[in-house]
Amino acid sequence: MIYAGIDAGSRSIKVVLFDTDQSQILASGLTDQGVEQERLAAELFEKLLKDAGLERPRISGVVATGYGRNAIRFADTTITEITCHARGVHRLAPDARTIIEIGGQDSKVISLEDGGRVRDFAMNDRCAAGTGRFLEMVAARLDMNWEKLAEAARQSKTPALISNMCVVFAETEIIGLLADGKPLPDVVAGVQNAIATRVSALAVRFVSPPVYFTGGVALQPGMARALEEVLACPVHVAPQPQFTGALGAALSVENKAKG
Amino acid sequence: MNTSPRKLNLDEWDGRYEQLRRDGLREPGYGGPLRRHVVRENDFRLEQLQFDSSPASLRLWNFLLTENERLRQARANGDKIVGTMKDLGTVPVMAYALPGVRAFYPDGAWWTPCLMECSDRLLQQAEAMGIDASFCPVRAMLPAFENGEHFPKPDLLVCSTGAVCDDFSAIAQRLEHRGHPIFWWEIPRRRQPASGELACALPGNLAAPTIQVDCVRAELQRIGNALGELAGRTLDDGGLAAGIRTANQVRRLLDTLRRTVYSAPAAPLPALEMLVAEMLAIHFCSDREETVAVLEDLLAEVQSRVRQNQFVIGADAVRIFWVNPVADLRAMNLLEELGGRICGSDYMFTHALDLIPENLPPLEALARTALADPMVGPTADRAARIVRECQAGRAEALVVSRIPGASHCAREGEIILEIVRREIGIPAIELEIPPVCDAMLATLGSRLQALVEIARSKNKAKS
Repeated sequence: MIYAGIDAGSRSIKVVLFDTDQSQILASGLTDQGVEQERLAAELFEKLLKDAGLERPRISGVVATGYGRNAIRFADTTITEITCHARGVHRLAPDARTIIEIGGQDSKVISLEDGGRVRDFAMNDRCAAGTGRFLEMVAARLDMNWEKLAEAARQSKTPALISNMCVVFAETEIIGLLADGKPLPDVVAGVQNAIATRVSALAVRFVSPPVYFTGGVALQPGMARALEEVLACPVHVAPQPQFTGALGAALSVENKAKG
Repeated sequence: MNTSPRKLNLDEWDGRYEQLRRDGLREPGYGGPLRRHVVRENDFRLEQLQFDSSPASLRLWNFLLTENERLRQARANGDKIVGTMKDLGTVPVMAYALPGVRAFYPDGAWWTPCLMECSDRLLQQAEAMGIDASFCPVRAMLPAFENGEHFPKPDLLVCSTGAVCDDFSAIAQRLEHRGHPIFWWEIPRRRQPASGELACALPGNLAAPTIQVDCVRAELQRIGNALGELAGRTLDDGGLAAGIRTANQVRRLLDTLRRTVYSAPAAPLPALEMLVAEMLAIHFCSDREETVAVLEDLLAEVQSRVRQNQFVIGADAVRIFWVNPVADLRAMNLLEELGGRICGSDYMFTHALDLIPENLPPLEALARTALADPMVGPTADRAARIVRECQAGRAEALVVSRIPGASHCAREGEIILEIVRREIGIPAIELEIPPVCDAMLATLGSRLQALVEIARSKNKAKS
């Protein structure tokens, strides 16, 4: 049977088609989030069906997750991204005990029990520090794309200390550091460390290895290393980190169908 | 027309009210359609809430929302009005023991910004008075005292100090500095009796050194004298004992209501109406006798529903224990929309739900009750009660709601979560709920829905 998971995140919409008989992802894709998110999700869904040579009736169920999940009215049900990331990461990395998910507009730490069930979670969706939004702001301010930002961070010898807890004030601080002659790679690495420090405050209560890192920010080279330093334990980037929520959503329909 | 129990929005209640009137609904003087509170009092939040469909719940809401009118009528009738702040349940018992005296709870103005969706601008006015958003929404009472629109100026204002949260102390002090004299009384921080120290048992399975009970009793005696002076008659033991018996009548009704609702196979009454009903314990919403009637009506409705297996929330809802009252009433609806139901609560005034001992001298009994206040003792004591009640209510999850700026719960939530997780291992979360939570509904919804999913997943794993 084939199930679809749709993760309507704050920055992008991800869709996964999962075949439970073959136990494999048939197709996955993402598109930028927008005002008409249901239309955007539907178009991406239809495109993936077409690419995979499937007709809509072949899909046994659709689950939406993510911040915009309730807007996806063609989904059969909605499940939170906390449960979906847990299921998605557990499928790809069954040994995972902690998941750190940093998305465009929020971050989460999820503690898992045996079997991939959620034991506990903590979430920051009130403050842009500790989310991908911080990196986006820095990239825009420095007129650099995502890859160049990561490349710059790799060259850092002594990351700068970004002391402001607020992204708005941190922007001013970053400009000040650059004006004072602080090398750009050190400033970018400092931003990565600031995000990691912010996220680690969520994790402090229950982080236990193995720790897997997921969400779009996990694709930013240097972020996993920054997390490892503040958490003092290895942090593995989950396979296909931007799709674990959508995969978990697809797996959730499967679980529901099995009763 | 469908008359089975259900939840209705305000528009639906308009139709329901007309039907009830045609069917011969009999209401007390403060009755009427809920809509009028929006039209006359600007209680816009009611338009966003879901209400229980029973006439008993309509009576409860009307009773709650007409307190201002009731107090003004009492003033016009020559009654003395006492504002009792912070003790949440003890001083009102003393005030109502005197004929012609009514107590109310000015701190209750903290719900006004929610009900009026901040259209009253009380919070902004409080900020202009030097009490900003870093303080508890109780700060709304500061301008309310001055504009006189939400309650009449009391003849006597009583407030506890000592083991009181810092922000409340600051707000009350600011109030006094602005020309509202306060009769202060001290409540010490409750501690465990030392080895060999004389001790007293308190309601709620607690204990305190006798010296602390003596101290509080002496303070209550001072309050009794002030109340007697206000009323022009002595507050004697006979009057106090009668007042305690009536207060206990309210507490017994609430106890039966809570046990009936929380132990039922599904929820016979929504969480929101239960929160409002429990709040009546604090100061009887300015009418002790009517409180008894309102609660009897509600209890009869609930018992009838349980007998007939009629519920407002499905039996598959996750059983959730809720700690602390919410600044935005919408949150209680949200919990149920996302698959939860309340199976127990600690809204910060559990000492006002426990029976006041009737076998002790009245002031001694009241002193022991005041010292059982969960807010004057260690958080571990409060957590221990929550653990016991979670177990009794077969809670599958716990929510601690936090009030922005309220210093009494800055760290308390984390401690309660830690103890509950350790002792009974149920999933637990802390939520911060501001007076109008619309901008955070998605966030709150994700957290509550995730909690429900985790609890269900655990149940599935067990079975």
